Amino acid sequence: MSFIPGQPVTAVVQRIEICKLRQCDNLILGFSIGGGIDQDPGQNPFSEDKTDKGIYVTRVSKGGPAEAAGLMIGDKIMQVNGWDMTMVTHDQARKRLTKKNEDVVRLLVTRKSLEDAVRNAMV
Amino acid sequence: MEERMRILEDLNMIYIRQIALSLQDSDIQKKIDHEIRMREGTCKLLGACSQKDQALEASKSLLTCNTRILAYMSELQRMKEAQILQRATRRPSDSAPLDERLPCKGKVAISDLRIPLMWKDTEYFKNKGELHRCAVFCILQLGGEIHDTDMVMVDRTMTDICFDSTIIFQEACPGFELRMELYSCCSEDESSTGSASRKLASKLGSSLSRSSGKKFRSGLEPGGGSPVSNGGGAPLLLPAPSNSGPKYHLLAHTSLVMAHVQDAFRTHDLSITGNEECSYWLPLYGSACCRLVAQPRCMTEQMMSGRLKVKHLGGDSQSCKTTYSVLRGTKLFCYLQEDNVEAEVEPAFTIAINKETRIRATDKDPHGKAQSICISNRYGGEEVTHVLSAERREDTQRWMEAFWQHFYDMSQWKQCCDDLMKINVPLPRKPTAVMTKQGSLYHEMIIDTSDDIGTVTDILARRVKEESFLSHPEGPLHWMSLFGESPPPSHSLQGAGLSPHLYCRSPRDPGRHQRGQLSDSPGSPLFPRSRPRTLSLDAKLSSLRGRGYGSSPAQAPQPIPSCSSSTSSHSSSEGSTASETDSVPFPRSTTARSSLRNLRAKLDPRNWLQSQV
Repeated sequence: MSFIPGQPVTAVVQRIEICKLRQCDNLILGFSIGGGIDQDPGQNPFSEDKTDKGIYVTRVSKGGPAEAAGLMIGDKIMQVNGWDMTMVTHDQARKRLTKKNEDVVRLLVTRKSLEDAVRNAMV
Repeated sequence: MEERMRILEDLNMIYIRQIALSLQDSDIQKKIDHEIRMREGTCKLLGACSQKDQALEASKSLLTCNTRILAYMSELQRMKEAQILQRATRRPSDSAPLDERLPCKGKVAISDLRIPLMWKDTEYFKNKGELHRCAVFCILQLGGEIHDTDMVMVDRTMTDICFDSTIIFQEACPGFELRMELYSCCSEDESSTGSASRKLASKLGSSLSRSSGKKFRSGLEPGGGSPVSNGGGAPLLLPAPSNSGPKYHLLAHTSLVMAHVQDAFRTHDLSITGNEECSYWLPLYGSACCRLVAQPRCMTEQMMSGRLKVKHLGGDSQSCKTTYSVLRGTKLFCYLQEDNVEAEVEPAFTIAINKETRIRATDKDPHGKAQSICISNRYGGEEVTHVLSAERREDTQRWMEAFWQHFYDMSQWKQCCDDLMKINVPLPRKPTAVMTKQGSLYHEMIIDTSDDIGTVTDILARRVKEESFLSHPEGPLHWMSLFGESPPPSHSLQGAGLSPHLYCRSPRDPGRHQRGQLSDSPGSPLFPRSRPRTLSLDAKLSSLRGRGYGSSPAQAPQPIPSCSSSTSSHSSSEGSTASETDSVPFPRSTTARSSLRNLRAKLDPRNWLQSQV
């Protein structure tokens, strides 16, 4: 899941649609993210390649909207509502997910089990 | 001049009314009347308003009204022509193709429209000079429905033009063409309203006659007043009343058809009109990104329903089940009883009806009263067949007809019938306050204390508790006794139910985590996020000392370096709670420390930050 500069990035992705939960004046999604191009990728416990600076899901709150939508811990987020997340800073990623005027976020996420499933199916 | 234009307008209106009357269609006429009234009102507003924003909005509504009027008028013309043709040829009724099927209509929705810009890098970093701003908006047209998006001000600090609105067209056929036009109008700091231009004109003296003469000439030209170019469709053009407000020009356009519909975000090419010399020019990248979905009626509504006897061939039980069946979308739902449908009880079973399904009518019993219908599907490698029979022959015919129509719809709507695409109707919410952008992109970097991971689990856990809190109104207030001082005047206490949001700066004391920490998430409206917080640490420290807190000022900076070294893998906030020494801290005094701590944490590349969303 790392990238080679100059080569296109391809991944098997799953579409996940999360409806934000309105809690008084806040909209919460119910998960935490880590990573970003301004962060140290060596400390990412979920990435296979320790140079991967993508955005990963580090925690999914139980009973929250993200869990209900099928987001799992360790997923790498590739896109949010059409915006790319493979080359963004941590803060940019957080902002793209927490826009106040959006009630629904549509993510494209990838995880190792998806790649494995596709590879095994092709054998 | 004005007189002549008014007479022309009246003549046009009479002609339109006559056409509408002869067609006996009052619907379009009402719409035209409505639009013309709107247009008159908008023109008056345009002449009267003094502020630039109002003028831009009014000009935008004017453009939309004109477009709508032209569309309705061409519709009227088309209907009139069709009527005349029909009378002239006098087609016999039996030659009218009875078996010509029409596909069902559907809803088409476009949302999250985003148009990237491509500024020269010198533009991005230019901090001096006036900001060249343009007001842009989109007009979306599908069939006879015309909608416009909200107006957005664009300047060189923006990388994309984003339109948040979701636009839904109700009546679209599969062969629809959604035409999207991007209009822009330059809005310089010198106001573009009529009074300023007149002042300028008077200053220039001799060119006054030339400029005003041009205005008149452009007003008299057919279609010259309205910037919408009409491709020779409508022979009658209502000359728009000349006005001195800001004028929008077509910057780019594109057409979307059903091949572009997908339940995902796609990028489409834009055709750009205009060049760098125009005042309304914006450096567009050349593409537009949006989410275009379609919901055909066959997927959302019940196409057919009735009582059917269903037998599963090759199944364990060969018995017939009497069901009340409903055909909707890609399935035939078979309920045991009719009222199960309203009660939304799960159907007894469902039969898939999709492109691979094969349906044929069998005449099991030619002398008998009923035909039956065989539905076969392939699941994996197996073929599963169901036999349906209705009570009467006519019912079976109707069911067959419904299936044929359904298959036709699915073949016409193609990929839209694979799965139901969702259309989000955004809930009406209060208009958010416009935040002034401060020139450079780098001013958007917000430094806040939003990384409280425990907050959301608390929110979720508190949902259950809140019901019990509501019955005991003094419940949520008991923890407020912790706060010795009154809330700062900018926050308002909104009542018991909302008290968890009183303070936005959450201290990291673990003891307080249970007490309804408020959310520091960026969704909080109490703190507009426009600039990094530059709290004077000295001021805070001196106030701390003044309150006789015992903790020396030298201690305040110390927790910060210890926090960054203690975090090795996970949340930086957990590291910082360990260093909190105060037992009952005032929220405001810890604000400086926590924000500084967070700033350090964020900027330290050895950390791996996590954020709660």
